[in-house]
Amino acid sequence: MFRQLRRAPGRILASVFALALAVGAIGVLAIPHVAEGSLHAAVGTNGLGDIVVPTTPLDDEQIAAIAALPNIAIAEGQVERSIVTDHEPVRLLGLMDGRSMDLVTLAAGRQPERPGEIVVSPSVAADAGVGPGDRLVLGVEEFEVVGVGETLWWTGDDVAYADIDSVRSLAPSGGLNRLVITATDDSDAALRATVDDVRAVLAPNGDTFTDFPIYLPDGTTPIDADIRQVSTLIGMLGIMAGVVALILLASTTNTLITERTREVAVMRALGGRQRPLRRRLRRIALSITAVALLVGLPFGVVISNLIARMVLEEFVGITPDLAVDWRVLAGSVVGMLIGARLVAARAARRVTNQPLAAALRDREGAPFGRSALQRGLTRVPIGGLFSRIAARASLRRPARTVAVIAQISAAVGVAFLIPTLARSVNDFNTNEQSIWKWDSSTVARDPGLPFPADITDSDQSSETAVRVWGSIDDWDIEAYGIAPGSTMLDPAMSAGRWFEPDGREAVLSAGFAEHRGIGVGDSIEVELAAGAVDVTIVGLVDDHSLALYTDRSQLASDLGAPGMTNLIWQAGGGSGAGAAIPGAVEVSTRAEIAAEQGQGRDAIVLIFGAIGVIVAGVAALAVMSSMLVSLFERRHDLATLQALGARRRRLRLLLVRELMPLGVAGLVIGLPLGAAGARFIIGSFESSNAVDIGVVDAMGAVPYIVAATLAGLFGLGLLAVQSAARRPIAVTLRGAA
Amino acid sequence: MSSPAEQEDDDGMDTFSHAPAVFPAPPAAETLVTARDLTRVWGKGSAAQVGIIGVDVEIGRGEMVAVVGPSGSGKSTLGALIAGIDTPTSGSLVVNGTRIDRMKTDRLAAWRGANVGIVFQDFHLLPTLNAQENVELALELGPNGAARRMRKRAARSALDQVGLGGQHRKLPAQMSGGEQQRVGIARALVTQPALIVADEPTGALDQANGHIVFDLLTTVARNGTTVVFITHDTGLAAAADRVVSMIDGRIESVTTGAQHALGSLAVRS
Repeated sequence: MFRQLRRAPGRILASVFALALAVGAIGVLAIPHVAEGSLHAAVGTNGLGDIVVPTTPLDDEQIAAIAALPNIAIAEGQVERSIVTDHEPVRLLGLMDGRSMDLVTLAAGRQPERPGEIVVSPSVAADAGVGPGDRLVLGVEEFEVVGVGETLWWTGDDVAYADIDSVRSLAPSGGLNRLVITATDDSDAALRATVDDVRAVLAPNGDTFTDFPIYLPDGTTPIDADIRQVSTLIGMLGIMAGVVALILLASTTNTLITERTREVAVMRALGGRQRPLRRRLRRIALSITAVALLVGLPFGVVISNLIARMVLEEFVGITPDLAVDWRVLAGSVVGMLIGARLVAARAARRVTNQPLAAALRDREGAPFGRSALQRGLTRVPIGGLFSRIAARASLRRPARTVAVIAQISAAVGVAFLIPTLARSVNDFNTNEQSIWKWDSSTVARDPGLPFPADITDSDQSSETAVRVWGSIDDWDIEAYGIAPGSTMLDPAMSAGRWFEPDGREAVLSAGFAEHRGIGVGDSIEVELAAGAVDVTIVGLVDDHSLALYTDRSQLASDLGAPGMTNLIWQAGGGSGAGAAIPGAVEVSTRAEIAAEQGQGRDAIVLIFGAIGVIVAGVAALAVMSSMLVSLFERRHDLATLQALGARRRRLRLLLVRELMPLGVAGLVIGLPLGAAGARFIIGSFESSNAVDIGVVDAMGAVPYIVAATLAGLFGLGLLAVQSAARRPIAVTLRGAA
Repeated sequence: MSSPAEQEDDDGMDTFSHAPAVFPAPPAAETLVTARDLTRVWGKGSAAQVGIIGVDVEIGRGEMVAVVGPSGSGKSTLGALIAGIDTPTSGSLVVNGTRIDRMKTDRLAAWRGANVGIVFQDFHLLPTLNAQENVELALELGPNGAARRMRKRAARSALDQVGLGGQHRKLPAQMSGGEQQRVGIARALVTQPALIVADEPTGALDQANGHIVFDLLTTVARNGTTVVFITHDTGLAAAADRVVSMIDGRIESVTTGAQHALGSLAVRS
């Protein structure tokens, strides 16, 4: 290996780099495992419950009664209260001493030890500019900040963690209004049954859930489904990266061995037997692959961890530790070595089987005209002589031509898939908002329905509504309680009609209804925080969402808070409604929501873009490598053309004629491949989320992809001609490379 | 960078002794090739490897000149320089009235297409083109880029001339070495160049095919085309008008073909 390195350091290092990049690209496959592993490690460290549900204020006896229910291992009560501050509203969370769930992970300072001490989340520390030792006023109370940290559940939120009594004293009712449960059997069915039992315990005292319970069955986390979807996509791109990496491995290994044709011929001429020579060639290829693995494996670990970090920081807000997927590592090692061995064996056979005289003259071993197809093609009069040379060159090594087209297709496919995904997500976000006519929304930070429905009666531009989580057939949906004659939304009905007020009628998202087989006239059960209710679906609306729209007063009654709401919409500029509402609220304008969605989309695009660049880069490298091998093998032909009087322009033209059809074939295959990939990915999102996203092909990207592909191939041709012209023709023709 | 030994792939050893050459004027009235102090060196300093050094040559129009010498003597380098497929490190080289030693790559290519026909030891036919197309290629790359029909006719005629009239559709892989070399000669002839440079044209052929090919070159020369061929076959060199003997990158002697044959006989006896 070191002798090889001394002989042609540039070439060997380029091969090592190419193979290392290929190994690194395979590392993309490790991202889901690394991400999930980090997430689940965080779950274990932070003690996430199996059921989390806000409730009306409860006392310790009720918590004890709940803890005594079957299937409940631990039940803990917490107090949650949102506080208006000079900055963003802060959620003040009172946590029990000695609790086993929602443990605060500290970034600085210590845990609260006595009343009046708090730990603030990093966002609060940054917004308020406080740290351990500082004092922070929340509402009417002043607290001493003793630490900066957060729980997994509230990661990224503005939260202050205090002892339970400090927060209890601030809450009007003084009760525990957040219930966290760890179940003995954490299967989905068992958790749902447990929630029914809890409801039954609360009901006699008139208590209930103030929001829909969140189930985390089988040790999952709230974002497990998202991570799984993202992982599926990453896995698909990883498979593509793996395939392209194997092609790159094949072409690089092939080059390494083909370059030694003459050297092997000399050894054969000196009496070297084929078998030991093949072994020697295989050993060279394997040792270079081994070195590439040594470089590429850490590279792959870095790639997978970087992207996993991007995913987790974006979707969960946690920064994972370095993690390694040993299966992918082992798979990369085994796959690369076996792949290199197989390709090297084939190439070594070809090199050692080549007629000795031809090999000694350093001529490549792919004579044209042996197959009937090649002979037949010579009888087809295609254009001028140069067009014929170009067309026939592609048939000289059909397998290589197919591989190059496959590589170009992969690069083009990924290049089209990424903007198509971005465009589709963007359009989905826009469509999701298109139903709404309000300009800003004011949402209560605390659970429950704190606003009287008539609070905006004096303001024509404002309207109250109810928005809560619910469930239909175990699918989480948003349930909206809309005022009669609302002007805040303009639904595009795809079937049926809008609901009539004061009834048990509802309108459902069309995409979800189609997915679940629900039609107009069907009566369905909707599970709400307070229990299940039946509604009749009278219409389907094209809102690209998972939502149920029903009468506001009816929904408030169903939630156990007649005449109350938790949301105020305002049309026109400003957000005046929010200012009139007592208590902590969150005011969002349409522009802010759009910007937030844009950020989310950009993050997704960034993550997939990064993977896409890796896949497309490896594919481009593979194309380059394959084409350079092909051109290296045909250097005598190019030199002959030069000797006969061909100027560089003619050679460039020849190579362009040769490469362009491959590029066009790659584009013709790659673009539909990318479109199909985008449909598959979005289809999987649609079926797993029961939402109608829709695919919008990024046709605007096509000219750029076409231009980049053709320009890349043109550049390759240019490079080859430049390299060919550098060497004296006489030297090339005598094969003294 | 290749070593001079690599530049030469001839393996014959012609040994004869003559007085050091004072290069005689060509017998023909008009000079086609004039080289003065022609030097080709690869690399620099202590790593420099000499191909030829300080070579002066004059070759007349219509002359048939053989270049002989042992391996590494620089005969192929001289042939490559005269053919314009390599450029000298120093010295001047005028071929057919054009100074080519400092010519830019593309101009030199165009000049070659118009002025030189090259015959290679390894034929160097394009494997994806059939015999006729290989010959047509020289016309396509030639000075006027003849019309397709004209090209076809000329290519067929050139193939007829080398005795391959019925085999114009054969691919190189379907032809013997002798046939391939005859296609190579047809390709060199078809543009009616002023100069044909043949580097070991019979080196890869058996004796019978070698004779056929050499007879073709002789006929070409008799018809007024200047032929410079590199060989270490004394018999072939004897048929040349003049024989340039090279050793260590310099011209050792210049004799007539007959003198060369006699010299060889004297050495053998």
